Amino acid sequence: MVSPIKGAVFTAEGSTREIILAFIKQALGKDCFDAVLIPAKAPEGDSFSYLLIQNETILKDAHPICPIMPVQGAKALHSLTGRGKGKKRIAALLRPCEVRATVELFKLGQVDLENISLISIDCPGALPLADWVEDPQKAETVFLEVLKGEASESLRPVCQICDKFSTTGAEDLHIGTLGAKSGSIFLIPRSPKGEGILEKVGLPAKEDISGWEQTVNSLTEKRKGERKKFLEEFKSKATGLDNLLDTFSKCINCHNCMRVCPICYCRQCFFDSANMKFTCEDYLDRAETMGGLRLPPETLLFHIGRMLHMSLSCVSCGACEDACPTSVPVAQVFSLVGNKNQEEFDYVPGKSLDEPPPLRVYEEEEFEEVEQSCAGTSAKQEAQNA
Amino acid sequence: MPKVLRLNKSAEEGLRELLRFLLESGKVKGVFALAPTDDNGGAVYSLITNLDTLEKASPLFPLMPANAAKMLSRLTLVEPATKPIAAVVRPCELRALTELIKRSQGSLDNLLLISSTCGGAYPLKMAVTGNIKEKLPSYWEAVKKAEIAPDIRPACAACEHFVPYNADMTVALVGNKDVDKQCAVYLNTDKGEQFASGISGELAEGEVASEAIEGLRSKREARAKELFDELGVNKGFDVKKVFEKCIGCRGCSKICPVCYCHVCFFDSGGDEHEPSYYETALERDGYGQILPDPIFYQLVRLFHVSLSCVGCGLCADVCPVNIPLWAVALKTGGSVQESFGYLPGRDLEEELPITAFKPEEFAAVVD
Repeated sequence: MVSPIKGAVFTAEGSTREIILAFIKQALGKDCFDAVLIPAKAPEGDSFSYLLIQNETILKDAHPICPIMPVQGAKALHSLTGRGKGKKRIAALLRPCEVRATVELFKLGQVDLENISLISIDCPGALPLADWVEDPQKAETVFLEVLKGEASESLRPVCQICDKFSTTGAEDLHIGTLGAKSGSIFLIPRSPKGEGILEKVGLPAKEDISGWEQTVNSLTEKRKGERKKFLEEFKSKATGLDNLLDTFSKCINCHNCMRVCPICYCRQCFFDSANMKFTCEDYLDRAETMGGLRLPPETLLFHIGRMLHMSLSCVSCGACEDACPTSVPVAQVFSLVGNKNQEEFDYVPGKSLDEPPPLRVYEEEEFEEVEQSCAGTSAKQEAQNA
Repeated sequence: MPKVLRLNKSAEEGLRELLRFLLESGKVKGVFALAPTDDNGGAVYSLITNLDTLEKASPLFPLMPANAAKMLSRLTLVEPATKPIAAVVRPCELRALTELIKRSQGSLDNLLLISSTCGGAYPLKMAVTGNIKEKLPSYWEAVKKAEIAPDIRPACAACEHFVPYNADMTVALVGNKDVDKQCAVYLNTDKGEQFASGISGELAEGEVASEAIEGLRSKREARAKELFDELGVNKGFDVKKVFEKCIGCRGCSKICPVCYCHVCFFDSGGDEHEPSYYETALERDGYGQILPDPIFYQLVRLFHVSLSCVGCGLCADVCPVNIPLWAVALKTGGSVQESFGYLPGRDLEEELPITAFKPEEFAAVVD
């Protein structure tokens, strides 16, 4: 029997956003960290970007619960610490999927978390970037509905079926908003670092927060069901060679999906390398074999290659789909494939910093059925050759 | 006066017949042209070697799913084409190809370049929503009358260079009143004439309808001014305002025909910072902007491409946050090019200004 999670209740005036910012301000004041990495509204007011803020007055432009995800937070942390840790202690306020992607990048050696405190927030989901771009004011209104628990159909498809919208366990501190009384948020420490922050602000985690836990659990169960149902339906539409070709038929090979993906960190993508440059003769041969060759070539191969590279770490954050100029349901395809691959390895990306990525671990016992079918094939081959 | 080949078919039918003749007679081994991907107005460039596939091609379809120059560079980068290929491309694509050739990113050997007086293309998003087909009648009506077709991309509505430079053959579309009944192909070069010889059709001498061309040119000039006024960029850009929404996907660079670097500076790690960079910003300003730094990126890109930018507008088409990159490109590129008296893609022999040393230029800067 696991002892129930304990947390602290933080109260302040104003909206949930203002309460979170009040907590951050207090934590900055108490020297829990030197600066905070947080989404903030850009000066013209029609976009958000990650800012590193130390100055309390600038903090008022911060939007910890942002209606869109213009940049994946893990990518921002990669920019900040990819070259190593700095001297400042930084708290990063992220969505759970951004924390999870950060954890994956950590395992892949792409971020340094020594001086970073990861703080996650119960995530209401994000609106499609295109809807925001089309009409930011309208999108803000819709997002207010979302925050009240309504208009969930206006969220991005992958947010609607997200079952990991709350604490992942890998963060240092989690901010619970679900089921919180008006004027309050829950602060749930998830590591000694997180406990240290709460101690410093004088809010030891002693309160019973089972109400929050129950709300999270029941929404998780609901979303799990919806995710399963959605992905099953989607699977029938998107799998098989014809469906796959059809799903990606509008791809123009701009690589936006790769560029915004938090996990795709290669400096030079294989598909941009000399390995993928061929002679004219080769292209003509290919065209002759098929009657015609689509250009740019290898668009589907690019997606399959990318899938092979990152699907075990895919956190279904949806950044890829937001960035696609031709509305290919990239994130839905990657969620489907990611889920399946991750299940095969019994791996949940971003769950824990200590869990090694499956491809780094050798297990003698795994995938026996694959081994056997390979052995069968080679035996058959030998028999034929004999 | 150039020779003109007339075929008693619509422009697209006639062009397809010409391509069929070239492929069937073995004069070319492949045809590079647009082909539909579905019935809803999706199309892609294809390398076609087979007559049945060619029947389905729609070489004049008003969509630019990729800049053809980028594709032709890809085909001929490792080595020149070893067998003749007929390529049907838009004037801006042809200009971009010329720029790429100047920059050693491909070869014109064995390429037969067929272009047209171009009516423009629809936004890529229309291929997704699937309503290009219903717009086609109004498109061709506008082309006939040498008007700006409704709903075409702003980059096209503002384009003055819709008559191709350096094409071996030019299909007359703009101002061609019989575009749905008659196909007129101008044979601009000896190569064009040689490839066309043997096809059955009427061969005469003629000029492209210059009055209609001039008319459309002035309409587009006026539209460009209107569009710049609307965006408030006639006097220049507030870069902070324009690029604020940029999410750093760099799709604009990936699809740009002129952005040809094999490793982009922004992939090289060159723009990454040591943690001390952010610490300094924190101490100085109380905050720091985390990468991607859209203004730095966009300015560096402009710096790199503006001399060769042909205003094809694909950058704006692929931008997920609708930054009017076409206007940025046209405006900035235009003034950079003007200051050198250079028009990208006009002439293969015209030297790239930054590779040509002229002792007397920019005296004001030197002083």
